[in-house]
Amino acid sequence: MDKEKELKIDVTDGAAIPTKKDKGLFTAWWCTLIGALVLLFYLITFYADPYLRILKFVSDGIVVTFKVTFASIFFSLIVGLITGLGRISKNRVINLIASVYVEVIRGIPLLVQLFYIYYALGSFFTVPPFVAAITAMTVCYGAYMGEVFRAGIESIDHGQTEAARSLGFNGRQTMFYVIIPQAMRTILPPVGNEFIALLKDTSLVSILAVGDLLRRGREFATETFAYFETYTMVALIYLLITLILSKIVSISEEKMRPYER
Amino acid sequence: MKDNNYIIHIENIYKFFHNITALKNVSLNIKPQEKVVIIGPSGSGKSTLLRTINRLEKIDKGRIIVDGQDITDKKCDINKIRMEVGMVFQNFNLFPHKTVLQNITMAPIKLKKIPPKEAEEIAYSLLKKVGIEDKANVYPAQLSGGQQQRVAIARALAMKPKVMLFDEPTSALDPEMIGEVLDVMINLAREGMTMVVVTHEMGFAREVADRVVFMDGGEILEQGTPEHFFTSPEHPRTKKFLSQIL
Ligand SMILES: Nc1ncnc2c1ncn2[C@@H]1O[C@H](COP(=O)(O)OP(=O)(O)OP(=O)(O)O)[C@@H](O)[C@H]1O
Ligand SMILES: [Mg+2]
Repeated sequence: MDKEKELKIDVTDGAAIPTKKDKGLFTAWWCTLIGALVLLFYLITFYADPYLRILKFVSDGIVVTFKVTFASIFFSLIVGLITGLGRISKNRVINLIASVYVEVIRGIPLLVQLFYIYYALGSFFTVPPFVAAITAMTVCYGAYMGEVFRAGIESIDHGQTEAARSLGFNGRQTMFYVIIPQAMRTILPPVGNEFIALLKDTSLVSILAVGDLLRRGREFATETFAYFETYTMVALIYLLITLILSKIVSISEEKMRPYER
Repeated sequence: MKDNNYIIHIENIYKFFHNITALKNVSLNIKPQEKVVIIGPSGSGKSTLLRTINRLEKIDKGRIIVDGQDITDKKCDINKIRMEVGMVFQNFNLFPHKTVLQNITMAPIKLKKIPPKEAEEIAYSLLKKVGIEDKANVYPAQLSGGQQQRVAIARALAMKPKVMLFDEPTSALDPEMIGEVLDVMINLAREGMTMVVVTHEMGFAREVADRVVFMDGGEILEQGTPEHFFTSPEHPRTKKFLSQIL
């Protein structure tokens, strides 16, 4: 009966994910959620003009924000897996390419990357802003995800690899049948964190003429001069989305926990 | 060179880890159905020697032929050889994300393309053999150490190997569980399996071994029958080691 080792990968700048054990954070989460909801309903009921108008105006922006987020997450998971495998590759060239990629991306602010990819891509072909935005988010978060995957894979005991290899599995089969399925468990919390961080960072794509939540808010504000009201609404919506997502992440994490049953 | 008589032929091998010489000019031949027990003090190279047989450890010099295949040859398909050479580890190394049944059927299904139904039947009969048929659908974490090790043996046997390698299979177990694992190994030996076992269990060596090999400092210093070892060991370091352990 050996004790299960709990491996935790350092969290980055995603929202704090509440767990059941974490009583303080748990109540903080409820307080924030209820506060935000109460404020939202208060504003749209008692000050329907302009708040309800703002909400209606930016609602398609919310959809765009989600689209950018989900597409970027999807592609950055693929890029991340490849990068992570590259970072642990024994092939020097592959390893170097993956490492340089991570190093470069880590050293450049996302906003600069966004500009760069948009205009760099733009000088070769005409890319719709939406595609440019997803590409930039993927390039950036693919590198972060790569580090998460690498840490997750490296956290699996080497005995697992030896057991699989000794049965006759080749390196790739060992990775995909034995190592990665186990690494998923350690990877899930930081991936959930990246997911939330990415959602917040999508607000940066509003500078690329992508009609996301923040951009739609800006459009409304410049038209009506209701800056304070608009950004209050925008902030509230981001907050609510992030709160709900962090809850979903923590629930799926809990479901994932033991190997029993 | 008549390698054909031997299922394992180890010829003047060397293994270095940085500046450590883990194996120094080791030669060892093992016949089909033979049971060889390797003993020796900690750090003497027992595990390293065992692990060179399925190339978990690559040798730096010498030659190893397993079932007629030169595994030191670059062209050799090592995964094919590994399917014929089962290995049992000190720490079991079961796959924690798979049930007991899946642990056993995974390699036959994926590597030998055995239909899942058939693989499961084989798995159940192996579980019966190691005495835990009722645990087929639990996860390894829910088993005791002794049960886990028996599953690990069943997992290796599911590939129908010609040789079984054991690296201190009972060293990580609570004393009361050692017997159940050794019993499984003794039965396996009686069925005629070729076995190479690194162990400190001298009772097992006495009962099962055709040959005992004593290693020290990366070399084989002495080998012979269990009787020879326990009655008249020759090398002074063998005597010293046995006097400490018995
Ligand atoms: N991966 C490795 N890297 C560096 N040195 C190693 C490695 N594996 C083994 N060694 C060294 O090689 C020598 C032989 O080790 P080995 O594990 O084969 O000994 P052993 O007889 O199995 O010992 P034990 O009874 O403690 O298991 C030791 O000096 C050990 O420190
Ligand atoms: Mg050892």
